[in-house]
Amino acid sequence: MKRNCLDSVLLYATAILTCALLVFPIYWLVVTALSEPDQLRQLPPKFWPDQPRWGVFAQILAERPILQWLGNSALAAIGAVTLSMTVSVLAGYSLSRFKVRGGQSLGLFILTAKMLPATLLVIPLFGIFRQLELIGSLWSIILAHATLIIPFTTWMLKGYFDTIPRELEQAAMVDGCSPLGAMVRVILPVSAPGLAATALYGFVLSWSDYAYARTFLTNAQTNWTANLGITTMKGEYVSNWSDISAASILVALPILLIYLFLERYLVGGLTAGSDK
Amino acid sequence: MAGIRIEHVTKSYGGLTVLKDFSLDITDGEFVVLVGPSGCGKSTMLKILAGLEEASSGKVSIGERDVTDLAPGDRDIAMVFQNYALYPHLTVRKNMGFGLKMRGTEAGEIDRRVTEAAKILGIDHLLDRRPRALSGGQRQRVALGRAIVREPLAFLMDEPLSNLDAKLRVHTRAEISALHKRLGVTTIYVTHDQTEAMTMADRIVIMKDGEIQQIAHPDTMFREPANLFVAGFIGSPGMNFLQSPVTSAGNGAQARLFGQEVPLLVANASTLAGRDAVFGLRPEHISAGPGPVSFEVQPRLIESLGSEQYVYVDLPPENRVGQTPHATAEEDGRGNALIARLINPDGAPLAERLTLSFDPARLHVFDAVTQEAIR
Repeated sequence: MKRNCLDSVLLYATAILTCALLVFPIYWLVVTALSEPDQLRQLPPKFWPDQPRWGVFAQILAERPILQWLGNSALAAIGAVTLSMTVSVLAGYSLSRFKVRGGQSLGLFILTAKMLPATLLVIPLFGIFRQLELIGSLWSIILAHATLIIPFTTWMLKGYFDTIPRELEQAAMVDGCSPLGAMVRVILPVSAPGLAATALYGFVLSWSDYAYARTFLTNAQTNWTANLGITTMKGEYVSNWSDISAASILVALPILLIYLFLERYLVGGLTAGSDK
Repeated sequence: MAGIRIEHVTKSYGGLTVLKDFSLDITDGEFVVLVGPSGCGKSTMLKILAGLEEASSGKVSIGERDVTDLAPGDRDIAMVFQNYALYPHLTVRKNMGFGLKMRGTEAGEIDRRVTEAAKILGIDHLLDRRPRALSGGQRQRVALGRAIVREPLAFLMDEPLSNLDAKLRVHTRAEISALHKRLGVTTIYVTHDQTEAMTMADRIVIMKDGEIQQIAHPDTMFREPANLFVAGFIGSPGMNFLQSPVTSAGNGAQARLFGQEVPLLVANASTLAGRDAVFGLRPEHISAGPGPVSFEVQPRLIESLGSEQYVYVDLPPENRVGQTPHATAEEDGRGNALIARLINPDGAPLAERLTLSFDPARLHVFDAVTQEAIR
């Protein structure tokens, strides 16, 4: 009994420590955003400002086209995720279900694209997009992000489809569905947790990109994504870290909301009851 | 409803042939059970019938229609899967009505047929639940309901009871038989359980290594097994096997079993004279006490099941069969032992030494080389 008590104490202590480590940077981001710039470097540091600058968010929104940048980020992420999921669902399902000659090698070949660093792809992609006259257009980063997202999501979804009993689509086919119909009507609804997790991964990847946006969106700031926009707030000699932190919080909020919305899908168990 | 004709169907995966020249005629309304050990090709045959696997060669007809190249949904069959394969995101009602919806049946008709099928199966109170909220037995009924609601030409069932506990399995087995009698739909049922095959089938098709071993009524299969494999597979406990050379004796033949000459009463036994034969004796055909052929034994093990007892005794070395002819793992090593199934309603303890006996007319005779039955 004593041992159980000690186990619980250790467990909770570890959990609290881990949470503290993970949450502290976010907490410090909030503290930085709400503090006056001249209070940021004082020692000992203040863990909560005397007079929090609650108006900083409204001020940032008024001074910079943050909402437009967020809109651009959202369009790019939604476009990249839609394109990637369409390709990945079909590719992952095919790799999971159809045994074709060279299928395994093809799957591994898709994964090699993920092994290349993004910076390595920037130059050839820039060349391609310039030829297609996409430089400066959001389409450039939608396509570029898709090249990053598709390899990983294809394998992620293949792994998920592998866990779904084949009998489900066989039952659907006996019930009158075509193979594609069985996938759409039965396998995809059952895969909702896997699809949500995969889409969220792709969304975060696209949302957090800076390198591609910096390279391809070189024209007017109305085309910038949020990450790109925030970096322009950093001056060569002077940077207002409080404003940058406030803008960062505004940019992080959508991801947080999307995560909260998708959380119920991320929890597995929807397939419970399909079989024994 | 319709009959089913399977003609010379084979199935190969690369160089591996899992189904060899399978032919079977199933009459309208018949309940046929495909039975055999794991890997014998029975489930593959069922999937070929359903259209879920493509035959390497051969032809499948349902009714008068050649369905060999038709998609599963165009064959007008319904299938019950081993793991039920219920759609987890749909309610029981939608699960059962899914096939009708795919065929464009109007909503009112779907509802009427689902409700009717649910009443037959006693699951009408579960219609608005999701599969995860059901017990194993209830899921099994929903899977059956999904099949019957379509009113198909034939039911295909792939080991539908194997995930149920023993008690529920016996109960559901009887229910499926009753359902078949009520609906009269042609049914092909796959199982590895010989008890299910014996109790449910109009005809049993017993398979081994992709080949049909025998097609017969359950009683015929029990009484007149075509070969050693069938003899060993059908019956619980399985048939005992003893080996002995056959010698001529007057107009007939005899074998030496348990140290004594035993006349062989099957008509063609003398064709085996001078050669080894395998003799099959069912455990229930061995009696306690003296009889036509009696022998004294010291039981190695006695298992009591209440009203009956299984007595395990060692076979004389000269009667041991070198290799057990039946494939199931639990029966490996049976070549050295004989099981007697003794009815013992009073539960009286058995003595340390026992006299057992059997009637030579009960002996099944098999050619030791071809393993075929000699009659």
